Amino acid sequence: MRLFGSAARAELLPEAALGALLGRALWPRLALGLGALLGAAMLAAAIGPVDIPADAVARIVLSRLPGVSLADSLPQSWRDIVWEVRLPRVVIAGLVGATLALSGATYQAVFRNPLADPYLIGVAAGAGLGATAVIVSPLDYTVGGMSLVPLAAFGGALTAVSLAYALARVGRTVPTVTLILAGVAISSIATSATSFLMISHNERVLTTLTWLLGGFNLSEWSKLWWVLPYVLPAAAIILLYGRILNVLQLDEEQAQQLGVNVERVKLLLLASASLATAAAVSVSGIIGFVGLIVPHAVRLLWGPDYRQLLPMSMVLGAVFLILADLLARTVNSPSEVPVGIVTAFCGAPFFLYLLRLRQRAVF
Amino acid sequence: MSSLIQRGLLLALVLVLAAAVACEDGGGEPTPEASPNILAAVQVPYPLTIVDTVGREVTIEAQPQRIASLSPAATEVLFAIGAGDQVIAVDKFSNYPEEATTRQQLDAFEPNLEAIAGVESDLVLLFYDPGELADSLERLGMTTAVLGSIEETPESVEAVFDQIRLLGQMTDHVQEAEELVADMQDRVDAVEEALADVEQGPRIFHEVDATLYTAAPDSFVGGLYKILKAQNIAAGAGQPFPQLTQEVIIERDPEVIILADGGYGESPDTVRARAGWGNISAVGNDRIVVIDPDIVSRPGPRCVDALEALAAYLYPERFE
Repeated sequence: MRLFGSAARAELLPEAALGALLGRALWPRLALGLGALLGAAMLAAAIGPVDIPADAVARIVLSRLPGVSLADSLPQSWRDIVWEVRLPRVVIAGLVGATLALSGATYQAVFRNPLADPYLIGVAAGAGLGATAVIVSPLDYTVGGMSLVPLAAFGGALTAVSLAYALARVGRTVPTVTLILAGVAISSIATSATSFLMISHNERVLTTLTWLLGGFNLSEWSKLWWVLPYVLPAAAIILLYGRILNVLQLDEEQAQQLGVNVERVKLLLLASASLATAAAVSVSGIIGFVGLIVPHAVRLLWGPDYRQLLPMSMVLGAVFLILADLLARTVNSPSEVPVGIVTAFCGAPFFLYLLRLRQRAVF
Repeated sequence: MSSLIQRGLLLALVLVLAAAVACEDGGGEPTPEASPNILAAVQVPYPLTIVDTVGREVTIEAQPQRIASLSPAATEVLFAIGAGDQVIAVDKFSNYPEEATTRQQLDAFEPNLEAIAGVESDLVLLFYDPGELADSLERLGMTTAVLGSIEETPESVEAVFDQIRLLGQMTDHVQEAEELVADMQDRVDAVEEALADVEQGPRIFHEVDATLYTAAPDSFVGGLYKILKAQNIAAGAGQPFPQLTQEVIIERDPEVIILADGGYGESPDTVRARAGWGNISAVGNDRIVVIDPDIVSRPGPRCVDALEALAAYLYPERFE
């Protein structure tokens, strides 16, 4: 009996050590996470298929500060690569990672379903259909130098989610199970339409598939303006609702009794998360896995309290996608690997490791 | 979504495999009667047995009169060697010559067995077999040959010549096929001669699509640039059609950018507008050109048109 007890204690050790390391309060772990984020961003900025010394990268970035000119002696191509290509890529990857992870956590909370991810009720399938329709269309898909693909993806995503929501509506409520089923059905319709478009325009199959698998190869600063106006307010709203999401985990009826307007909260949070995801997907394509796994990883590391789970998911999602994208542009250099392949291929083993480390269901 | 991606991957895999199979055969058949001056006078003795590019033995009983060509390149060859009248159906990408578009249309990628059988063809030409289609057609009594795509064959022009000769034999237009090959060879020779003293041509980036897919030296298109002695910035990518990382393109600084995606909205203006591309030589010197992707990537008679157009663009001083 005694022996058994000490063995159990030993098994808990990694968890205890991790807990001690990371602290119990939000702020220390948030600081740690932001430190990791900064580290990942610096690493990703310093490494790329083109060899540019880290000090040159630092000088190029610092030269952007007013009154600082440290990069004048460096080749123009380096300056273009670091500032116009690599850095926006890192920033956008981080932003998309944070958005997907936050939305995933929100979906999981609202649906009280561990399998929920931000694509559950149609965002991905709708965006995929919108993007594919533009890619295969014989019309020019740039208007005034601006690609219509993100716009169509964004529109497709919102259309699909709105449809699912409208179809699932019963009187003044939207039962979550009905919403999931409606979303799955809408997704299925959109996916088969996408498949049809791909097959019947197979000369564009590579372009379409590349978009569907996601990537940041064409990132530039201007794409930030596609994402930020939606992501910032959505993130602010969702983060403010951390406590209420905790209450929602009990039971909708109990939450109602505690004074939460459940239907309104669900609509607000799902709309915010879907809007943010649609914006993210429109610039990055459909990157799987991040929105599903990152919130679970945070749960495994730090527990299910949404007041910390939401911000930590954002930070961890950003770190994860920045590192995944670093691999996407370097492992097969000078070619790209779609980042969606990297997220699944490298993220899943890490997640399984966490799962084994803590052998109890946390959700 | 994952099922869509799976299906997409599967399709892509099938395409790659089809191309790889075509590659293995070096894109052409060693025909016993390779010498043009003997062939010119000789009628093709039917029944004729050939080996197609996937290694199937195909026996043609008599001169085919109802050809269904599910390969845009084969369609172009057939019309160029005077066998156009024998073509009754084409795939939907067979858009050249104009006359080909008047034929009944079939689908080469999702071929419907019934639709193909319905045209009662006596020779079906495929460039891609999605899975035992050729055998199924044979069982229905239609002679079928797979003339594999040679898009990933860098010895581009030679492979095209082989396919032209083979089609000449199969349709009994041996002499016209030899004349076409001789004419194309002359034009290739002329380009090569004009570039004989060129040590190293300009650095080029051939854009297949706006997500920066390009044609590496190991592709058919890449083979054309080899003839032109251009330095392909996709060299070393290890696959025929890689998607280059954007920063690599800026670093390798192409002197000429060739856009094969002009039909999808890309133009010199859109390239100039890309962030970070402003200091690329091709952009600074305004050397960005749009080319018809059909002539440059389709292994047919017009690949020589592409070669000449590219030569004139890469070396304006040598080709007035």
